[in-house]
Amino acid sequence: MFDLSATLQLIVSGLAMGAIYALVALGFILIYNAVGVVNFAQGDFVMFPSFIAVSFILPSVIVFGAVMHWQLPIVAVYLLVLVLMAGFGLLFNRIAYYPLRDRGWLPVVISTIGVSIFLRNLAQIVWGSQPIVFPGPFHVETLTVGGLHFRTQDLLILGVSGLLIAFQYVLFERTTLGKQMRATAQDRATAQLLGIRVDRIVAITFIYSVLLGTIAGLLVSPIFTVTKEMGGLISLKAFAASIVGGFGSIPGAILGGLLIGVVENLGGYYISSDYKDAIAFVILIGVLLLRPSGFFGERVSEKA
Amino acid sequence: MNRRAALVVVLAVACALVPFFVHSQYILQVTDTALIYAIVVIGLGILLGFAGQMSLAQAAFFGIGAYSSAIASTTLGLSPWIAIPFGVLVSVAIGAAVGYPCLRLSGHYLALATIGFGIIVQLVFINARSLTNGPDGINSIPPPHLGSIALDTYQSYFYVAYGALLFSIYVAWRIKRSRIGRAFEAIRENEIAAQAMGINTTNYKVLAFVLASGFGGLAGGLIAHMTRFISPDSYSFDQSVIFLVMLVIGGSATIAGAVTGAILLTFLPEVLRPLKDSYIMVYGAAVVVMVIFMPEGIVGLVRRLIPSTESTPPAPLRATTPSSIADSA
Repeated sequence: MFDLSATLQLIVSGLAMGAIYALVALGFILIYNAVGVVNFAQGDFVMFPSFIAVSFILPSVIVFGAVMHWQLPIVAVYLLVLVLMAGFGLLFNRIAYYPLRDRGWLPVVISTIGVSIFLRNLAQIVWGSQPIVFPGPFHVETLTVGGLHFRTQDLLILGVSGLLIAFQYVLFERTTLGKQMRATAQDRATAQLLGIRVDRIVAITFIYSVLLGTIAGLLVSPIFTVTKEMGGLISLKAFAASIVGGFGSIPGAILGGLLIGVVENLGGYYISSDYKDAIAFVILIGVLLLRPSGFFGERVSEKA
Repeated sequence: MNRRAALVVVLAVACALVPFFVHSQYILQVTDTALIYAIVVIGLGILLGFAGQMSLAQAAFFGIGAYSSAIASTTLGLSPWIAIPFGVLVSVAIGAAVGYPCLRLSGHYLALATIGFGIIVQLVFINARSLTNGPDGINSIPPPHLGSIALDTYQSYFYVAYGALLFSIYVAWRIKRSRIGRAFEAIRENEIAAQAMGINTTNYKVLAFVLASGFGGLAGGLIAHMTRFISPDSYSFDQSVIFLVMLVIGGSATIAGAVTGAILLTFLPEVLRPLKDSYIMVYGAAVVVMVIFMPEGIVGLVRRLIPSTESTPPAPLRATTPSSIADSA
């Protein structure tokens, strides 16, 4: 039953999927650390930019029921989508978070849920309910190394995620902006006393989180198809990944994501493909029961 | 009988007359669904509004009740009057089994554990084909009978749902005013202080979770014998989220808030239907607007607009803002 080459290929594609979970999980954690709220619309920031991107990548696309020809070079599309989504992140911060910032976490959670419902259905109205195939940037689908077949998109995902994580490390450790973001996450009041404009830093954190989701979406879309539901399961598994790693911990989210990606890929192959989507949550519940603080977490229960 | 109690009785009787004035089958169907959803949301209100614990698995218990009752009445041939309580029992048992380990957690962690549980339950509904008939769902679920009369119209089923709702409101109200209700409130406001006062917080939190599962299971059985067809997509994570939204929009700390939120948000998409495709989008936007402008939910808003004149409410209806729930979480 055990097949070494299949297993190796499953591990690589699992790592790629895990990297996607890690990017989305980082988006969750940065917002959570900054404002103490889980953003339930995070998955929709994976889905929505994918729809925008695919509209400009395909030679023709149906928007509001009319055929449009908006094709642009793929690099231009990626840049355009990133700029649009950055603006969107700011808008999201201003509408769904800012007016509620002094009211505890529940109202903010509910308003992010409202945004999520809004975006999914906006996507359906604009692009219809048929799944759209997102062509990847490569013409070659697979790469064969020593008899093993790897999807080029998986390798791209791993490369880009690695670069992004390195970028983020430099941002947080070496730049003033990153230090301000960390200070705000650690203790808002003190950060404010030190002259950091926390509302602005929080807004930047929202924008950055939305961009992480956007990049995850652009990377993962060629593997799946673009649908309004595509962000749902990805974000829930990313959620699970962030808990498994230790909520609030950046290395934890990355490792948690990779772990879940690999285990569910192997489990789906060797145990049951029907229950593949349950594996992440079985791991989640197991970790919550045995070690609620995750691999890298500090405290178990929230502040009293 | 004081004025307030009289008002409640008059309102209850007036609502019971709805099927005599509404003839549209469609509106009656939505009404029955709204009453059943109100039961689910009351359960969630006990957990979140009374005890301050968040769950995103309420649709899973709704589904467990629906499936248990449907399976008991189709394959085992039990009468729905027995199958529905059986569904409640199954739901309560699973609620206790899940609640014990999960309620060592609180706040976001609890919410996440319940999300995981909810998704696993839905996957079981989809994949355990021998029991649940998989994605096709279960059909030909029998309606309940009263003597020889089948309660298979939306008019007659209204009274089943309405009776169950009144029963649920009564139970929730008794709980709120009892020792248990006060313990829940103490836990919501400050768990450590509650513990210091000798409240076994874990047991009470599990009890709140089990009660929420029980109400969810009851509503599930009711919906199964009303629609007489169930399938896994009705018990998704998204549905749990909708129940939560209903509760928060209504006003999470009060029973009236739970019922109002459930009924209003069940009707809202129907009212918005003329907008065709965009109605759910408007619904999403409406949720954001409502949560921004109505900090204490609809019930809180009404209470602010209509200051109580002479009759002061009997229970100390301290309006709890969601932020005080968050502080104790």
